[in-house]
Amino acid sequence: MRPKFVIILIACALLFGSFVWTGSATGDDFNAVVRAIEQFYHVKHQNIPLLARAGMKAAKTAARIRGGEYKRLAEAGSARVAFFEEQTFDSHGQIASFKASMKNALSDTWSPLVQTLTPKDEEQNYIFVRELGKKFSVLVITIERHEATVVEATVVPQILAQLMKDPNEMGKALTQDATIDP
Amino acid sequence: MKTLFRNLLPAIAVSTLLVATAVNARAQGAKLQMDQLDSLANKASETVDVKLDERLMQTTAKFFISKDPDDAEIRELIKGVKGIYVKSFTFEKAGAYSPADVDSVISQLRGGAWSKIIGVTSKKDGDNVEVYLNTLGDQINGLAVLSIEPKEFTVVNIVGPINLEKLVQLEGQFGVPFLNLPPPKPKIEKQNP
Repeated sequence: MRPKFVIILIACALLFGSFVWTGSATGDDFNAVVRAIEQFYHVKHQNIPLLARAGMKAAKTAARIRGGEYKRLAEAGSARVAFFEEQTFDSHGQIASFKASMKNALSDTWSPLVQTLTPKDEEQNYIFVRELGKKFSVLVITIERHEATVVEATVVPQILAQLMKDPNEMGKALTQDATIDP
Repeated sequence: MKTLFRNLLPAIAVSTLLVATAVNARAQGAKLQMDQLDSLANKASETVDVKLDERLMQTTAKFFISKDPDDAEIRELIKGVKGIYVKSFTFEKAGAYSPADVDSVISQLRGGAWSKIIGVTSKKDGDNVEVYLNTLGDQINGLAVLSIEPKEFTVVNIVGPINLEKLVQLEGQFGVPFLNLPPPKPKIEKQNP
């Protein structure tokens, strides 16, 4: 085998290998979670409805009335939102199984931060965090009996630090923030 | 002298590394295994699971830098904390979780570097709160609180230098629930004769 050919072969292998590695490390976990919800609960996601946007606008206005400008948490343009509306979320007593299937859907780069479950009301909140260079990516999954929201947003460490003071409220704050019209 | 120093340098470096590894291992030893409790989520009417690991704690701790007194207080509280882990289960009926579930945590706290510093039992309500400290000499490596009630089971595990005063201050923050702990005893100052 000629040395030139061997070098090309190695280069191709490395290049191909790196593509595969990058693919699995930065795979679209947002879509994977949305799919996991759809498969487990047999539901279908929609785009964020106008009604929710209107409600969030009200929150923005209320903040202004209180004398302060509404401060955004997520970095501009970073938020992705999937909304499930007027559908039935019934885990048939297997809420822990759903938790496990969602864990499987996500790559290892995500760390679970907070998980709250209220099976009786089918309420679930999950927050996962992963480092994104000097920033953090936060994934918030909120499920109720008849609706669910999946939000992925990028936040700066200062914001994450402030949100971590009350992790239970973090999901609510980020979901609200991500669904407000710019 | 220079030659001696040069010869000793690798040994010093290795020793330093070993000491650092040992300190880290001790702190990690204060982290409890709690994943076995996850199956209780199917029986519980409410489950809260908080995991703030070392990387996250250290990264965010750097950002409590403003002159705001609240930030300064938080910075001091979480200084050196390597993790906060909380699992809390609330049940509709008493007896939904077994003594084996409780023992899976308590068995990790028997002996070794762990010692029970508080044990409060209410015969009337069946409530039981136990606080354990993981220490080595004067150094605190971690703390564990078990709140065992007929309809509720909560485990709080904080890894790093934390004492009761700091724990009480952390209640309601960073996912640490309100634990209704007895107030820490005031320090008795030695009086000069």
